[in-house]
Amino acid sequence: MLHSESTRRDFLNASGLGIGSMALSSLLARDGHAAERNDPLAPKKPHFAPRAKAVIFLFMAGGPSNLELFDHKPELNKLTGQKVPESFTQGKRFAFIKGDAKILGCARKFSRYGKCGMDLSELLPHHRDIVDDVCWLRGMKTDVFNHGPAKVFLSTGSPQFGRPGMGAWVTYGLGSEADNLPGYVVLQSGPRGPRGGAAIWSNGFLPSTYQGVPFLKGENPILDLSSPPGVDRNQQREFVDAVGDLNRLRKQTVGDPEIETRIAAYEMAFRMQTAAPELMDLKKESAETLKLYGAVPGKSSFANNCLLARRLVERGTRFIQLIHTDWDHHGGSLDLGKSLDNICKEVDQPSAALIKDLKRTGLLDDTLVIWGGEFGRTPMGETRETIGRDHHIDSYTMWMAGGGVKPGYLHGKSDEIGYNVIEDQVHVHDLQATILNQLGLDHTKLTFRFQGRDFRLTDVHGNVVREILA
Amino acid sequence: MGCKLRTMKRSEILPVDVMFRSVLVSLVFFATVKAFATEPGVDFARDIRPVLSNKCFKCHGPATQKAKLRLDDRAAAIKSEAIVPGKPAESLLIERIAAHDESRMPPEDVGDPLTPEQIRLITKWIAEGAEYPPHWAFVKPAQKPSPKTATPTSNPIDAFILGKLEQMKIRPSAEADRLTLIRRVTLDLIGLLPTPQEVEDFVSDNSPNAYEKLVDRLLKSPHYGERQARYWLDLARYADSNGYTIDGARMIWPWRDWVIEAFNKDMPFDQFTVEQLAGDLLPKATQEQRIATGFHRNTAFNEEGGTDAEQFRVERVIDRTNTTAAVWLGLTMGCAQCHDHKFDPVSQKDYYRLYAYFNSCDEPTITIGGSPDLEKKIAELNTKIAKLQKVGDQPGVNKTKAEIKKLQGKIPSTLIMRERAKPRESFIQIRGDFLRKGEIVNPGTPSVLPAATGSSRLDLARWLVSDANPLTSRVVVNRYWQQFFGRGLVETENDFGIQGNLPTHPELLDWLALEFMKPKSGTPWSTKRIHKTIVMSETYRRSSHSRSDLNERDPRNLYLARQNRLRLEAEGIRDAALSASGLLTPKVGGPPVYPPQPAEVFSFTQSRHPWPESKGPDRYRRGLYTYIWRQSQHPLLTTFDGADAQTACTKRNRSNTPLQALHLANDPAFYEFATALGKRIVAEAPTDDPGRVQKAYRLCFGRQPTEAESERLLSYAKDLPEADRWTAVARVLMNLDEFITRE
Repeated sequence: MLHSESTRRDFLNASGLGIGSMALSSLLARDGHAAERNDPLAPKKPHFAPRAKAVIFLFMAGGPSNLELFDHKPELNKLTGQKVPESFTQGKRFAFIKGDAKILGCARKFSRYGKCGMDLSELLPHHRDIVDDVCWLRGMKTDVFNHGPAKVFLSTGSPQFGRPGMGAWVTYGLGSEADNLPGYVVLQSGPRGPRGGAAIWSNGFLPSTYQGVPFLKGENPILDLSSPPGVDRNQQREFVDAVGDLNRLRKQTVGDPEIETRIAAYEMAFRMQTAAPELMDLKKESAETLKLYGAVPGKSSFANNCLLARRLVERGTRFIQLIHTDWDHHGGSLDLGKSLDNICKEVDQPSAALIKDLKRTGLLDDTLVIWGGEFGRTPMGETRETIGRDHHIDSYTMWMAGGGVKPGYLHGKSDEIGYNVIEDQVHVHDLQATILNQLGLDHTKLTFRFQGRDFRLTDVHGNVVREILA
Repeated sequence: MGCKLRTMKRSEILPVDVMFRSVLVSLVFFATVKAFATEPGVDFARDIRPVLSNKCFKCHGPATQKAKLRLDDRAAAIKSEAIVPGKPAESLLIERIAAHDESRMPPEDVGDPLTPEQIRLITKWIAEGAEYPPHWAFVKPAQKPSPKTATPTSNPIDAFILGKLEQMKIRPSAEADRLTLIRRVTLDLIGLLPTPQEVEDFVSDNSPNAYEKLVDRLLKSPHYGERQARYWLDLARYADSNGYTIDGARMIWPWRDWVIEAFNKDMPFDQFTVEQLAGDLLPKATQEQRIATGFHRNTAFNEEGGTDAEQFRVERVIDRTNTTAAVWLGLTMGCAQCHDHKFDPVSQKDYYRLYAYFNSCDEPTITIGGSPDLEKKIAELNTKIAKLQKVGDQPGVNKTKAEIKKLQGKIPSTLIMRERAKPRESFIQIRGDFLRKGEIVNPGTPSVLPAATGSSRLDLARWLVSDANPLTSRVVVNRYWQQFFGRGLVETENDFGIQGNLPTHPELLDWLALEFMKPKSGTPWSTKRIHKTIVMSETYRRSSHSRSDLNERDPRNLYLARQNRLRLEAEGIRDAALSASGLLTPKVGGPPVYPPQPAEVFSFTQSRHPWPESKGPDRYRRGLYTYIWRQSQHPLLTTFDGADAQTACTKRNRSNTPLQALHLANDPAFYEFATALGKRIVAEAPTDDPGRVQKAYRLCFGRQPTEAESERLLSYAKDLPEADRWTAVARVLMNLDEFITRE
C-alpha cells in the first residue's frame, strides 16, 4: 500500500496539529462510523412518531389503464360504441379525444381475489398473491391531464415545473439514515426516460443536497463515481486525505465551519465509491430471491430495480422512486393489446415480489410502498390504428402497502363506467399528505420559505386519508 | 368560534367571566404602562406587523375576513372594536390573543398563541395610538444623512455600516490582504481568477489608488459583462430549449449576447429595463431593441401532444407577470393569481391588471444578421401571411409559416415579443382557472403603488423605472449587494412585501437606491458606478475570517463586521478551473457550446438531445456558454445549485454535498483541467518540487502556501510516479474548499 499512515501521522505531528484534532474524524469516517454527520442530510426528528421510515414509490409513468387492471366495469362492455352521456363529459377537457368519443369495452377478464375481495385483471397474476397485503385506492383523482405537468404534479404537488419532488421534501424534513449512499434515489426502467424528466425528482428551491440522485445503468450507478483512469483505491484514499488535511489547515486560518462540512462530504463521497457498486451487485442475492423478482444480475430492468429498492431500504436510503415507462396506451404504437401485455409482464411479478420480500424480511412494517401513475385512462376509446384510451384525471387506481397502511383494504369507488369517483375520493394532494403523515411529518408544517411564501408539498390542499391507516 | 360576534355589542357577546377578565386585563395594563415609560416606542413594522401578519392576517387580512374582521386595515380594525386606539383594555384584539380558553386567537388548530412579549408589545402599541405607518418598501426612498462615526469614513456605505457597528460596540475586521483582495474582486466582477502576473502587479503597486486602478481595469474587461449577465440570465430563466417534456431546442442566445453587451457598455438600468420589456414598442425600434424583448421569451413552451394551446399561452403570460413582479418589484405577485394576496395588499384584480400588460403579445422569431436577400424574402412571406390570414386561408398560412421556418434555419434567429394590433381582453381568472372568466380588467399597476400613465407595455416599463415607483431601485441594488456580500440588506431579496425581512440597514439601502437612480453626479442608473461604489468600500474589503467574538453577538454576520466567504456558483467553478489550468478560451458571445458531459445524462429524459461534444477552443468556453437543455442541464449545473431555468432565480443556493465532491474529484472534464494545470506547473515553474508547489498555489489561490501546506502537499507528491505527480497535485488543489470559494 502506497499510502503510509505513519507518514501522515508524522506530518500531522510536525504541523503541530496532532492526530487527535485533525484526522480523528476522517479515521472514524473511514471505519464506517458516521461519528459526525456534519451534513444537512443527517437524520432529523419527525413532527410525531412515524409509522414508516422509508418510501418506495413505484411510479408507473404514462398512466396505466385502471379499467384494464384494477377497476372492473362490466357496464363498459354493454355500452361499448355508445356516446358517453353528456352529464359525464360536460365541461371536461381531454388531451386528444373530443367530447363525443365513444365508450370502449374492456377485453380483459377480471376475477375476485383475497379476503378483501379485490377484482384483479388477468394481466396481473402475481398481484393475486398480495391482494391482502395491499390497500387499494380505487378513487384517485388528479388535476392535470398532460403527461409532464401531471407527473410533476404527482411528484411535487404542483403542475408547474421547478418545485421540489416528494423525495426532496422528505429528505429535507427527515434527513437520511444512509451514511454512504444518497438519501433520495431514482431508479429508471422502460424504453425511455419519463416525460417531465429531472423536474420529477428536482430539489426545486431547496438546496441541491435534497435532490434525487438518478441512478445510471451498470455497476457505477452515480455520475462520476469512479476515480479517474489510473487512480486506484489507495491513491484515491491518499487524495481524499490530502484534500482533507489541507482543508483542515485552511479551516484553522479562516475558521469557516462550512469547511468541516466539505471534508465530511469528501469522506462520504469516498465511501459511496465502494458502497454504490456493492449495492448494485445483485450476485450476492440468493437464487431464490432473484427468481422471486425475476431479476438478472447485470441486467437493467424494473425487476432489478425493485430488488435494488429493497437493498437501498436496508442501507438506510429514505426515499426511492422507481420510474417505469411507458404506460401511455392511446392506441397506435402503444395499445391496450400487446403493448399492455408486455408492460404488465415487466411490472407485475417484481411489484408483487417486492411486497413479499419486504414482508418476509420484516421491512414492510416500516417501509411504505406506493404503486401508480400520473393519471388513469378514459372509459372512452381513442380512434387510432389500434385501440387505446386517452388520459383521464377524474378516476383511477393506485395502491399502497406497508408503513402503517391497512392491508387488504378497498378504498374508493367509481361510477358504473369508471368515469367519476362516487365514494372516498383520494386526491393527489391527499395521497401526498398521507405519505408524509406515515413518515411522521405534518404536511401543513413541512414548509420552506421561498419568494415570500411558505411552500408545501401539498400547496394549500390535502387531507390525510385517515380511513386507510392501520 | 364567534364569527358573528364582531358585529354585536360587547355587552351582548361577552359572558360575565370575560367581562371580569377585561377588568383584570385593564389592571395588568395599567401596571405595564409604567414599565413602558422608560423604553422607546414600539416600531409597528418591526414589532407589530410581522406578528399580526404571521398570526392573524391569513384569516383576518386582505384576502379573508373571517367574522368580518380585518386587522391589516386600521379603520376596519377600529370599526370592529378589535382595536380601540389608546385603550388596549377595551380592545377585543388584546382580549382574544390573551385569552386562556377556547376564545383564544389564533385558535388552537390554527396556530400557537402569541408570546407574552408579543402581547405586551401589541398592548403598548395600542396604548400609544395603534398607528399603522405604511409598509416601508411602498414609501419612496428618502435621503438620510449618513451617521457620524468615530472612525472617519469617505464612502457613505462605510458610514452606515460602521455607524451600526459602533452602536453595537463591535469592532470591524481589518482589510483583507492584497492577495485575497485581488482574488475576491476579480472573481466578483469578472468571474475569473487573477493571473499570477496580475497579482504581482497589484501587490507591488505602491500608488495610493492601486486598488481603484484594479477595480477600473476589471470594470472595463469584456468578461465583466459575462459575469454580470449570468445573474440576469438567472432572473430571466434563460435556457436554450423549450422546457416541459419534449424540451426541444430553441435559439435565443442573441438575447443573451445582448445582455452581455449591455453590461459591458454600462447601459443605464432604466434603458435596460425599457428595451427588454417593451423594446418593440419604442419609436423606430432597432433590431437590437427587438432582440432585447427576448427577456420575456425565455418562458418555457409546452410542445407535448394533446395540450391546449390557449392554456399554455396563458401560463406564459402568468410567468411573465410573476417574473416582472419578482425581478423589478420584489413582490410575490404569484400568490394573487388564484386569490387576493394573504399578506400583501395585492388583490387578484391587481394581479390580472398587471397580467393585462402582457396579454396582447405575439411571439415571433426574427433572424439576426441574415443576408439582405434572405431577410427580404422572409419579409415578403410575412406580408403574404397577413393577406392569407385576412381571407381566412389557414392552410396557406401554415404552409407559408413552414417556408419561413425553413429559411430561418439558415441564419441565426432569436425570439422576440411583438404587440398585437388588436389587444386581447383580459379577465380576472376565478381561482386562477383560465376557463373561468370573471370581471374584465384593464392594464394597471398594483393599487398600493402609484398608478402608471398609460396601458401599454412601454408605459409599464417606463413606470417601473420612474421616480414614482418606490421599489425597483431598492430591489435591484439589494440584489447587487447580495452579489458582493452573499446576502442582501433585505435578506428576502425576492420579497419586499409585508412578509419579507426588514432591511438590516434601511438608510443604507435607501442611500444606495437613490445613488443608483438619481446620483448627485454621474450617470443615473449606472450599474458599473454602483458596483464600483460597493467594491471600493472598506466594508467590502474587510477580511472574511471568522471571529470567535462575533459568534454570539452576530453569528450570521448580518452587520458585516467582516466579509463573508462564499462558495462560487456552478459556472464560476468551471471558470476558475479554466483560469488556473490556462485552458480558458476567452471568446465572448456566440452560440452555446457542448463541453464534455457523461452520455448518461440523457437517459433520464424523454428525448435524447444532441450533444455534439465541442472540440478545440469551444471545449474550454466559460460555463455561461454551456448549452442549457432545461430538463437535462449539464451535471455541473445541477450539482452545484445552478438556476433551474423554470422560474426567476433571484438567489442561488450554496449547498455542500458528496455529489459535488465526486464531481470535482472524478469528472473527466475536471480531470482534464487538472492534467492541464499539472503540465502548466511543470512548464512554468522552477524544477524543484517546493518551487512547483509554490507556483501551483499562486495559480490556484494567488498566494504562497504556508509551510505546513507545502509540506503536506510534498508528502503527498513524493510517492507518486513522476509522470502523474503534478496532475495529482493539481487535482488536490482544485478540490480544496478554497479553490471553489471566494474569500
